[in-house]
Amino acid sequence: MKLNRRVFVGTGIAAASALSAPMVQAASHGKPKVVVVGGGAGGATAARYIAKDSAGEIDVTLIEPTRSYYTCFFSNLYLGGFWELENLSHSYGKLASDYGINVVHDWATGVDRDAKTVSLAGGGTVPYDRLILSPGIDFVEGSVPGWDLSAQNAMPHAYKAGSQTELLKAQIMAMPEGGTYVMVAPPNPYRCPPGPYERISMVAHQLKMNNPTAKIIIADPKEKFSKQALFEEGWQKHYSGMVERIGPDFGGGNVTVDPAAMTVNIDGEVVKADVVNVIPAQKAGLICDAAGLTDGNWAPVDGASMVSRLDENIHILGDATNQGDMPKSGYSANSQAKVAAMAVRGALTGSRVFPAKYSNTCWSLIATDDGVKVGAAYEPNEEKIASVSSFVSQTGEDAAMRKATYEESIGWYEGITADMFG
Amino acid sequence: MAHISGMFLSVVGGAALVLGTAYGWTAREYRSAELDVLTERLVQLESSNAEWSKRAEATAELEAKLTALETELATAVQALEEARRAPVAAVAEPEAQPETIVADAGDPSFGDPARGETVFGQCRSCHQIGQGAEDRIGPHLNGIFGRRAGAHDGFRYSDDMAMMGADGLTWEIETLDAYLENPKALVSRTRMNFAGLKDQQDREDILAYLRQFSASPQNIPEAAPTAQAREVELAPEVLALVGDTDYGEYLASECKTCHQQDGSDQGIPSITQWPTEDFVVAMHAYKRQIRPHPVMQMMASRLSDEEIAALAAYFAQLQ
Ligand SMILES: Cc1cc2nc3c(=O)[nH]c(=O)nc-3n(C[C@H](O)[C@H](O)[C@H](O)COP(=O)(O)OP(=O)(O)OC[C@H]3O[C@@H](n4cnc5c(N)ncnc54)[C@H](O)[C@@H]3O)c2cc1C
Repeated sequence: MKLNRRVFVGTGIAAASALSAPMVQAASHGKPKVVVVGGGAGGATAARYIAKDSAGEIDVTLIEPTRSYYTCFFSNLYLGGFWELENLSHSYGKLASDYGINVVHDWATGVDRDAKTVSLAGGGTVPYDRLILSPGIDFVEGSVPGWDLSAQNAMPHAYKAGSQTELLKAQIMAMPEGGTYVMVAPPNPYRCPPGPYERISMVAHQLKMNNPTAKIIIADPKEKFSKQALFEEGWQKHYSGMVERIGPDFGGGNVTVDPAAMTVNIDGEVVKADVVNVIPAQKAGLICDAAGLTDGNWAPVDGASMVSRLDENIHILGDATNQGDMPKSGYSANSQAKVAAMAVRGALTGSRVFPAKYSNTCWSLIATDDGVKVGAAYEPNEEKIASVSSFVSQTGEDAAMRKATYEESIGWYEGITADMFG
Repeated sequence: MAHISGMFLSVVGGAALVLGTAYGWTAREYRSAELDVLTERLVQLESSNAEWSKRAEATAELEAKLTALETELATAVQALEEARRAPVAAVAEPEAQPETIVADAGDPSFGDPARGETVFGQCRSCHQIGQGAEDRIGPHLNGIFGRRAGAHDGFRYSDDMAMMGADGLTWEIETLDAYLENPKALVSRTRMNFAGLKDQQDREDILAYLRQFSASPQNIPEAAPTAQAREVELAPEVLALVGDTDYGEYLASECKTCHQQDGSDQGIPSITQWPTEDFVVAMHAYKRQIRPHPVMQMMASRLSDEEIAALAAYFAQLQ
């Protein structure tokens, strides 16, 4: 390791990026302005990276209605009794104080793409040079007949975290002895592919401790689901006889609900339930539609920089996008945010831009110290973000490895939330 | 056993002392009474000792017979399976033939255990092996083959070794070979303070020697490590690359989703301020799948030599 033996590399990349990223002057007065809508896994990360790496050269505004962000990730662990509600909650304080981000607690109601402004529910507009949208998901109306948002108290989705998660847990804890929990699982694509099944594991864990004769039914429109072999092995091992999954071949996709009667009709058979967790079909957060950036249910983007295929000044991140092979996860949104942040800085200040790389890993907890994971690496091509390699935990792994996997997931949680909120 | 007889002795000795005092014996008398008791006990112990060593011999003989039988059985089973498979393979996949030969190369000339014993001399200051071996500075190495890394009860391993074990590192010919060649390639902050054995013959011989002390050596593949060669040692040019820290900073944003910049290491190790060379060696070991851990293998698999250098340079200077 002597200095004189070293060869300097990277000049090639430096030269290329200097050529490919000419300095673009801000259209508006003063410093270039970036507006980020949505302070979740995608938006908070993007805002933080742009503010941090531009060191004051770019004005960053974050628009987010809630004062505390509750992560969906680990919200299932809260249901299972492995995680405290407070530990799901994160404030935007540091983004404002340590990174100089202008945090506005309001809803974005529309985007004027010609004038390059975002309008707010509280009145007024915010101008931008580049806009980043990371609004997460909304639900497809009518996807579960009988259910709409007005029924979310009787039949919670708990698929946006916070009060819904608390409500679902309270309902589970209040189930009568030997009661029935029904989950109506969503069709593809939806946020967090293993999420519903990790939830089943956590609910089963909770019930096994407090209400061991209770039953869990999943009505599922999908043939197969993420980490299926691992979950099924785990349910057999830890919660034998407790979980029944009704797949599409037995009518699991033909479901209606009656929130007033607390019944679920699965392919003609009426089940009276104590808790009904309806996870409807999903689509991009409504602001994407309002801005005219969707094609079908999702917002198409170019994987090279997460820029909208419909507007070159708007980048879209996370669950709301149609980008290719990446699952809709917090990890993915965080990974995409870094590529977009780099591209936006490159466009506005001429900083170096490197080829996009993406990755994802989703950890799930099945029972105490029984963690599993699935993940992949991705790279963009002309058409989409494509998976280039992947892995998944194996069935039959020993207890030491499963425990290490669970501990690793806690490390990831601490890591990603620090990466989002500073 | 030793413990119990010790107690017995002190009880008897104590009783003699009490008796002696009660009957007003002189010190000399009760000493000689005590000596009698002790002598008698000694004779007893010696005879039971002889009994034990006879039994130990018998056990060892039985174990040897068992091992021989197991070997016979394994050979027979293998022969049967081969006989069963042979015609099918010949019809279905004639081109699979050469591969079978390689896998079959139970090359009896792999490693010279006698020479290995000599080479092992340099390990003996820390590692014992063979009958009565105990943990010293390093764990004893009886039964090392097939054992999970960092999993031998009662030995205090480095955190990194324990983590590698939890990640799935198991001591087989291949992993032991890599670890012997460059310990840090597998375990960055290993307690084993050893530069590595660069000579392949030395390693083969040591491994041949070590495998004699594992429970069922007939189950340990004899294939020479070269059969699945994975380069452990990095070329000097690769180690000499100077990374581009700007590029490293971008690439590092991917690492920071899990590895926290402030050095927290709950469940996931810290990589902030990791010495450049250790970082490079470790990442290449993941890339070549010498180290276990699927996430890290995946991350490393798509990094070029320059990208690994860039990351190493960035993390080394990170505050
Ligand atoms: C039960 C469950 C478990 C999960 N577990 C994991 C896991 O273990 N690992 C993992 O990686 N992922 C997990 N996920 C998925 C993960 O939560 C999402 O994929 C991730 O949050 C997506 O990030 P996002 O930025 O797209 O959206 P979000 O994180 O949902 O952020 C969107 C934000 O935008 C705001 N917003 C929406 N509309 C507007 C508007 N008009 N104006 C202003 N603000 C707006 C919202 O208030 C919200 O704060 C899980 C999800 C669920 C439901």
